[in-house]
Amino acid sequence: MIETRALGARAGTFVLHDVSFLLPRGAWGIVLGPAGAGKTTLLETIAGVRRANVGQVLLRNADATHDAPERRGLGIVYQHGYLFPHLSVEENICYGTRDRAYAASVADRLGAAPLLGRSVADLSGGERQVVALARALAPRPDILLLDEPFAALDPRRRTRVRRELHAMQREMELTVLQVTHDFAEAGTLGDLAMLVEGGRLVQAAPPTQLFRRPATAAAAEFLGAENVFAGTAEPIARGAEAGLDTVRFRAGALTLIAVGEYAGSRSHAVIRGEDVVLARIRPGPSSARNVLEGTVVEVAIVGSLARVTLDVCGVPLVASLTTGSVSELGLATGVAVVATVKATAVHLC
Amino acid sequence: MSDRSTHRLATAGVALGSLILLGLLVLPVGALVLRGGVEGVRQLGSDPELRASLSLTAVTATAATLATVLLGTPLAWLLARGRMPAVVVVSALLDLPLLIPHPVAGIALLLAFGRASPVGGALERAGLALVGSPFAIALAMFFVAAPLYVSAAREAIARVDPRYEGVARTLGDSPWRAAWRVTRPLAGRGLLAAAVVMWARAVSEFGAIVILTYNPKVASVLSYDRFTSFGLDAALPVSAVLVLLALVPLLVLRSLRARSALGEPAR
Repeated sequence: MIETRALGARAGTFVLHDVSFLLPRGAWGIVLGPAGAGKTTLLETIAGVRRANVGQVLLRNADATHDAPERRGLGIVYQHGYLFPHLSVEENICYGTRDRAYAASVADRLGAAPLLGRSVADLSGGERQVVALARALAPRPDILLLDEPFAALDPRRRTRVRRELHAMQREMELTVLQVTHDFAEAGTLGDLAMLVEGGRLVQAAPPTQLFRRPATAAAAEFLGAENVFAGTAEPIARGAEAGLDTVRFRAGALTLIAVGEYAGSRSHAVIRGEDVVLARIRPGPSSARNVLEGTVVEVAIVGSLARVTLDVCGVPLVASLTTGSVSELGLATGVAVVATVKATAVHLC
Repeated sequence: MSDRSTHRLATAGVALGSLILLGLLVLPVGALVLRGGVEGVRQLGSDPELRASLSLTAVTATAATLATVLLGTPLAWLLARGRMPAVVVVSALLDLPLLIPHPVAGIALLLAFGRASPVGGALERAGLALVGSPFAIALAMFFVAAPLYVSAAREAIARVDPRYEGVARTLGDSPWRAAWRVTRPLAGRGLLAAAVVMWARAVSEFGAIVILTYNPKVASVLSYDRFTSFGLDAALPVSAVLVLLALVPLLVLRSLRARSALGEPAR
């Protein structure tokens, strides 16, 4: 279990502020955020290699804020590995343990066994990361802190190592906190996703919730939401529960109906591209509250998916479709289309 | 004047300046070695005082260097890692011996460790008369050269990313053990270079030593003694041998730096 309470730390001129979250034992936490947001500083403060100047770090329900790193029983893996260059790969993996057989078995599971006889200087970036993972796991920690541990792995090896590490996490009930820029990884592995920006924890929630209901417009943009509109909101009907108000949102000439919590007139509306449904003709009566007429201004093909940008009342609206849908609908620049969006798919923040 | 002509003129000016500087540095030493080198090497076989003096110089410089490495490396680590309180004050104190004239350093040492001082008096009562002994020579060498070692060692340690130590600590090492197992080998070449510089500086020390211990004579004092007692010709062989002795650490240092420049991993 990892818990931080109003944690703050300093790294040169950078300051980490007021970070509070709880990651239960055996859970996999994901830390997301732009470069320089404080993700590594957060990991290092939890590891104890960087001193917390305010707040608390609790590990296994005990206050570890002032414990030395060697007393915290955790492992850390940096993106660059930080393998000890004066030691061999095998010596690196066995650095923190006397149980060489166990270290060898960990190396074997992660695919590092063929590297044991090699010199650290001869390893590729991906190989370094695998060795660093094995080194961190060899002393049998129950908490693992990972700073982009798969970034340098080729796709095939990344899938294998990720799968094996996930299996080990379940077997050993490891609590893992991982920094990543890979949203797919966050969705696949994470039980809890945290968004850090400017040294502050912006939001901590299950990954699905984080992606679908980001706390701020900046968070939505960072998390890849295609449509983020700044505008004004007004309540149409108050819901029986919090978060169920019906709200009219206006951004320029674009008007949207949303279901959410009305939190003031100045607001942002977020719509993910996959929640925008396109048709060539206006559909019949349906439950969708937002039916918007527009013109295609761009069709960008990315693999099997297409990103279709519409002009709706002078406001760009992006829809994510399959390339099959694009060709069936005959979508091309200048084609008139009708976009429908359910009110529940319009997230206000 | 065209850009090309200006460039040529500037290049010629820099080349001339460099030649003058090198000439001023090399000419005296070259003349000394040329005139006294062969005789100095010959006297190594026939002059027991010269041999004893060189031996004393090497032994005391080595002792001072070893003591500095032992005491100064942990201090350099504390300074490099920002773990030392009042780091600015400590750094200034460390630089102080480099800034004061060396005879003044000798007088200060005499005040602190001479017979009349509490420490010197206590040592003498314990049977260890510091002044006039090889210990005082090593002490003087330590005083004037240790700051060089600490400063260079601090830089060598600071060049090792502290994250290596951080990783070692999460793997179970205490701060000192991580420094010993990881930082020391990674900074090893820099630490060795710092020790070589310190040793070379200790070998060449005169001012502080001559105040504390005229006899037994280290090479620099012997050179001075022969010059004042017998004139230039008598001083030349000793002086030339001292220069040759100073060349040894210089060559070691250059070799270390060349290997670093070639990108060999520090072990």
